[in-house]
Amino acid sequence: MTSFNLPDLGEGLAEAEIVRWHVNVGDTVAVDQPMLAVETAKAVVEVPAPFSGVIKKLHGQPGDVIATGALLVEFEGAKGEASPANSGPHHIATRSSHGSGDAGTVVGNMPTSDIELIETAHAGGSAHGHTNGNGHAATSTAHASTRAQADGRIRAAPAARALAKHLGINLAAVHGTGRGGVVIVADVLAQSNISTHRTNDSAAPRFAGGERLKGLRRAMAQSMSLARDNVTNCTLFDDADLHRWPEGQDITTRLLRAISMACKAVPALNAWYDGDTQTRLLKSRVDVGMAVDTPDGLIVPIVRDIGARTTAELRHDIDRLKRTARDRTVAPEDLRDATFMLSNFGMIAGRYATPVVVPPMVAILGSGRLSRDVIAVENGFEAHLRMPLSLTFDHRCVTGGEAARFMAAVLGDLEKDT
Amino acid sequence: MAKVTMIEAINRAHAWEMTRDPNVVVLGEDVGVNGGVFRATAGLQEQFGKDRVQDTPLAEGMIAGMAIGMATQGLRPVAEIQFMGFIYPAMDQIANHMARLRNRTRGRLTCPVVIRMPHGGGIHAPEHHSESLEAMLAHHAGLRVVCPSSPARAYGLLLAAIRDPDPVIFLEPARLYRLVKQEVADDGQALPLDVCYRLREGTDVTIVTWGAMVTETLKAAETLENSGVSCEVLDLATLSPIDHDTILESVTRTGRLVIVHEAPRNCGIGAEIAATVAERALYDLHAPIKRVTGYDTIMPLARLEYDYIPNAARIMDAVRETLTE
Repeated sequence: MTSFNLPDLGEGLAEAEIVRWHVNVGDTVAVDQPMLAVETAKAVVEVPAPFSGVIKKLHGQPGDVIATGALLVEFEGAKGEASPANSGPHHIATRSSHGSGDAGTVVGNMPTSDIELIETAHAGGSAHGHTNGNGHAATSTAHASTRAQADGRIRAAPAARALAKHLGINLAAVHGTGRGGVVIVADVLAQSNISTHRTNDSAAPRFAGGERLKGLRRAMAQSMSLARDNVTNCTLFDDADLHRWPEGQDITTRLLRAISMACKAVPALNAWYDGDTQTRLLKSRVDVGMAVDTPDGLIVPIVRDIGARTTAELRHDIDRLKRTARDRTVAPEDLRDATFMLSNFGMIAGRYATPVVVPPMVAILGSGRLSRDVIAVENGFEAHLRMPLSLTFDHRCVTGGEAARFMAAVLGDLEKDT
Repeated sequence: MAKVTMIEAINRAHAWEMTRDPNVVVLGEDVGVNGGVFRATAGLQEQFGKDRVQDTPLAEGMIAGMAIGMATQGLRPVAEIQFMGFIYPAMDQIANHMARLRNRTRGRLTCPVVIRMPHGGGIHAPEHHSESLEAMLAHHAGLRVVCPSSPARAYGLLLAAIRDPDPVIFLEPARLYRLVKQEVADDGQALPLDVCYRLREGTDVTIVTWGAMVTETLKAAETLENSGVSCEVLDLATLSPIDHDTILESVTRTGRLVIVHEAPRNCGIGAEIAATVAERALYDLHAPIKRVTGYDTIMPLARLEYDYIPNAARIMDAVRETLTE
């Protein structure tokens, strides 16, 4: 004979009134089968059988108030346990009263265990032990960005990241020009222009025994490939007659002055052009990149704002740039953003050339070796000192007329005595 | 030192502070004679007397209002709301007065009140007993909202809350009340408010979470570790004001963020964290921010409760999404 007492119905309720029995003496009940309905102060609740067996005796009639823990049903031949997972809102405990051995909750079914929690918890701050208080916003993000650079994580706009992934470009190879060095979409596009021109480091060369280009030579290979793929080169040749020049003229500074005059006369040749968007930017200031030959290769340092400098200043700057170029100590800002180029290859050899325009510039002037040429004059022949000039222009955005007028202006200034 | 459950830790924090500071008083429904429906205040009325541990009528507005009055007159009330879902009648007092008193009186009066309550579901309770309303409270200037996730943090943060001169809403995850035991020294040491607690260091993803979800998150992190994913887990602990600095420092290192909360998704505190990280660390993110949250429905009853509440599997799925996008 097994007894079943009215269980704890939860919510601190100490008693319940029997509403209706669902079973009779002699019935065989299965575990969890509802045996009776009782009404508490809050609700009418079904009481399920805690085990299966045969009902021997029922204690209480409908209308009787039964205290929690009081005897309710007696079973014969009881087997099995009540299912532990009661999905109803009331916790049917086998404990008799709410006061002693309580389930720790008056509603629901609270999970309990004897598991011990072992944890480490560091309050606030970074993993490196700084304790950040409240609101040190600027420090935190500045700190983060320097750390980002230092350990090689790339800071990139999400759109730039997505584009780089789409184009198969390694973000680490992209120079970021956004605020704080962030890589922006334009940077990825610029890199893609370079990298789509077959700088495929993983491809095998067509012949054995070669050495992959590095440094200046590599930069030149890349930039000339970019130029070839974009610029429409057209070269105009002429000669400057220097017979009026006195002794000791500084050829380079005369060339720079001539270029400055010509850029004033024909601004179209002192500009930047973007072929992809067909956008042209006329530059007001003339910054001339001067090709310097060094043992390591070609460097192009820039003489800034030539129109505003005296001859002495220009000469001083040219010397400085040549020296730093040869020393390889030239600063990055002296290599960036030229608006026009001058190649004075004539100092070595060669008269005429088809110099290459480097985007985004639209023109380059090459000056060849001075020579004493016999020329026809009004009544005979004379030997005049002459300088060959080769003006290459990007015919996408510079007209032949503009180029010719530019050349005329260069000649006009160069042929003056001083 | 003893191994205690969260409920026991809360009880001890009460006892410690009530001994140390005679101005600390406790009030709420069933807190005195019964020691609270979850036994959080068991034994306190015997120890400190009826004046200091008061059973109130079933009237949340009155509980909050009385607490304000007591606080302005020099007491430090620790009021209990029996379940978070019952806080609504008290909101007028909390929002219109408790949160504003310092501002309204230009600092002449302040409200050193703690209102503590069980938070969240997972215990198969009836309707209204399983709410997670922290976002609603956090939206009020003048309220601090705190949610411990372990017995030790319950002890230390409750002490800090009681000692704080301004209102603190103290949310106790009911599902964690007796889930585990932990060594907690009953030494009156408060823990810092307004900072996250780093529970696990990692390099691949930052997971920010609080309350009962801390347990699920740590389970997920453990499993993910076996697949070679290193998760950094931050317990937000103070839900308002949010310690953005610690979160940002972590996200700039890992590049990925997952936020886990039981409360519904729409306008949850996860949204606030995500917005701030997007504002201040967008360029460090390698994948979109993910939130694992309760659904935007009424909290279901027992049978569907565990379908609603985020679990380790859902957290792991979110982490994997951040790694594969």
